Amino acid sequence: MRHLRWLLVPLVVIPLGWLLVSGFGRDPREIRSPLAGRTAPEWTLTSLDGETLSSGDLAGRPYVVNFWASWCIPACVDEHPVLSDAHRQLGEEVTIVGMLYNDRPADAEAFLTRYGDAGYSHLIDPDGRLAIEFGVTGPPETFFVDADGIVRDKQFGPLTPTLMAERLATILPSAAR
Amino acid sequence: MRTWLPALAVGCVLALIALGSVLVLQPGSEPTAARTDALARELRCPDCQGLSVADSPTASAQEIRRQIDELVTGGATDDEVRAHFVARYGEWILLAPTAPLVWVIPFAVVVAGAGALGAWLVSRRRPLHGSPVRPSPEERRRLREEADVLDA
Repeated sequence: MRHLRWLLVPLVVIPLGWLLVSGFGRDPREIRSPLAGRTAPEWTLTSLDGETLSSGDLAGRPYVVNFWASWCIPACVDEHPVLSDAHRQLGEEVTIVGMLYNDRPADAEAFLTRYGDAGYSHLIDPDGRLAIEFGVTGPPETFFVDADGIVRDKQFGPLTPTLMAERLATILPSAAR
Repeated sequence: MRTWLPALAVGCVLALIALGSVLVLQPGSEPTAARTDALARELRCPDCQGLSVADSPTASAQEIRRQIDELVTGGATDDEVRAHFVARYGEWILLAPTAPLVWVIPFAVVVAGAGALGAWLVSRRRPLHGSPVRPSPEERRRLREEADVLDA
């Protein structure tokens, strides 16, 4: 009976300790996307400028779908220059698309006036239907789709220049340079 | 002639009641709404903290509810509706976990705890009610002598 106590250490304490350490090391809000490796949802939406854009228009070209909102502060403000820089530097190779998440177009326009409009399209997702198709839980969330239309990566939370380079490398080998 | 008139009247009234109940109750619509409600209670609202789609007023929850209704009306089974949202959000969207281990672990811990407690209690009581120490013949003789002295 007495030697059984020593078995408790490897059998109970070590697994529990491992569970706690691994649990504290991750963001409980972050959910792995089941979309990774699958075809991205199709969409046809209207931009803030009134133009119609669809996923079909981007066929054969890698693209980035960034769900954001003017009320998502500071995360969306923080990542805005990262997306703008990527559009300016890699706009020829990759298309960046902003998707309004549960936001009013007028508020989104005011955000772009204040923090700068790099010139890529921002689309209106009227009922949040596309956000549900992508499994979005809250902005900012960004999906990286390769030239074959397959979702290769997802960023939960704001993008930093390093994260942007890492994620873009999954759909655009030249971005890893 | 007059004898079958009341029977005809009663028959007509009963037929009207039956027709009315079929038209008013509309079998099929009530189960659809009930199924949508039940499924909405099972799915997590994506942009809330621990609320079901049924309990949340957010735009996302309303849209998911609308999609559940659309799927149910379109003939999807409950499992197909759940699978539709799991394909987008993963199992996170289900409020009740599906992994059997998650349900078994709490019971296993309770049983193991009860077993450990029982074993501990038994090990504590053993010296009192276990095999008693029997006096040696020498001790027995001395005890008898002591008792004789007291009795005298």
